[in-house]
Amino acid sequence: MIEEPYRWVEAIATRRDYIEMQLATGSPVVAVGYAEGILLFTVGQQKLFEIYDRIALGAIGHPGDIERLRMAAIELASTEGFTRSAADVSLRRLAYYSLSPVMKNAFEQIYGAPFLARLLFVEIGAAPADDLFLEVEYDGAINLRSTNEGNRPFAVLAATKKSAEQMAEFLRKQFRSGKNLAETLDLALDSWVIGQLKADDAVPGEDEIRRQRRERLGNGTISAAVLERNANTAVRYRALEANELAPLIAK
Amino acid sequence: MDKPALDFGADFPSLLRRQGLLGPPAPIVNTRTEIVPTESTTILAFKFADGVLVAGDRRATSGNTVVYDRADKVLEIDRRSIMAIAGVPATAWEMARVLEHSFQFFRRTQLQEMSVDGKVRALSKLLRDNFGFALQGIGVVVPIFATFEASASPSARLYFYDAMGAQFEATDFAATGSGSPAVRGILYYENTWGEKPLQKISEDEAVVVALRALDTAAEADTATGGIDRHAKIFPVMKVVGAGGIRTLPEEKIAELFHKRVE
Repeated sequence: MIEEPYRWVEAIATRRDYIEMQLATGSPVVAVGYAEGILLFTVGQQKLFEIYDRIALGAIGHPGDIERLRMAAIELASTEGFTRSAADVSLRRLAYYSLSPVMKNAFEQIYGAPFLARLLFVEIGAAPADDLFLEVEYDGAINLRSTNEGNRPFAVLAATKKSAEQMAEFLRKQFRSGKNLAETLDLALDSWVIGQLKADDAVPGEDEIRRQRRERLGNGTISAAVLERNANTAVRYRALEANELAPLIAK
Repeated sequence: MDKPALDFGADFPSLLRRQGLLGPPAPIVNTRTEIVPTESTTILAFKFADGVLVAGDRRATSGNTVVYDRADKVLEIDRRSIMAIAGVPATAWEMARVLEHSFQFFRRTQLQEMSVDGKVRALSKLLRDNFGFALQGIGVVVPIFATFEASASPSARLYFYDAMGAQFEATDFAATGSGSPAVRGILYYENTWGEKPLQKISEDEAVVVALRALDTAAEADTATGGIDRHAKIFPVMKVVGAGGIRTLPEEKIAELFHKRVE
């Protein structure tokens, strides 16, 4: 069936629809830079992960596929860090040279299974300008959220492209550099709420977002983690404790 | 990504072996030669009031020659574990590196910290894999492993090993290396007939005990550096306790040395 080029294109388009449908219920993930590091935020089951000393992952998709990609990333980073040094483990190399080609390949080999997952990677550098925020699509495409003023210090994952765009647009407007962790948690929760809107909903005003927080959060569990820039240890990843999230839930 | 369907994927050394980055376990060849004791150094560790203090002299020797006088034999493996090494440096440091990455790798892939027993066993396995080299007299490593887990009882845990990988949990103190017989004597004496048992003494008192013990070891053992009074080189000391690991600053060790040891 796929000997003809048109059939192949058709098969790829069908596959794209299928994957989008599979991802349609995922809870959004937000990563935002703040004064002392980078915050990763989501609501629901565990999907924020430590990859290496300075690299973290957020994901939506099928747990089995997320797991395969996560393991591959940890194995790559760990062996590189072991044979050379932690300083040689770079997110840019990991995403562009290793993961992206593998994901593109799996997506286009239409007799094999694609990865049902979107990934978000962050890497903390010595200064905010060295931080890296990457969104990796199921077809291996990498999105940087860049503008004329350079790459923006945030990345988002959502169930649909439209939701992701709305979240990014909101962050583009609201993001200010130098905010503290509590303010950034607020911002992350707001953008998560926006990522939950239905496809044809307009982005609500600030008060409306606050009102929707409670009902959208429901019984969901917030999970958040940070990469800390000036930690005394080599490992910068730290999952936030319940008491650090308490003020957010109280509001 | 291709591996057997059912595999925790948590063992870092086997990942390294799969990729050809770590050699296979050393073959055990019966050469019927005498094992050359090469663990020329002194390291010691004991429990005190706030955790475990681990100390090591800084001399590295090759036969009769001193090759290095600033060797660091007390190594941080993760936020809560310290490994101190007596033996062939190349093998020991490589072991420490494998161990450090193994613990991190386990935590990252399995999303939980490796248990103390698991960590102790991991080091034991590395020693076992190395035993072939130890038999040939080219790679003996005899480490001490100290860790602290606030929620466990007892919180402070201290282990010493033999070259084959057998692990022994020490209740109060451990010492290995060529200078260890003297150190063991001192620590036993302090613990039994000293003013207070070692587990009751403060950090400052612990530093003094460690300095005196290493100085005594260096008195009779040429392979132990002890305290270099001319070049002002002091032993490396690390403490693992409820707040994690701290490397004691050299100024503090020097001050206590001048006040209470010299």
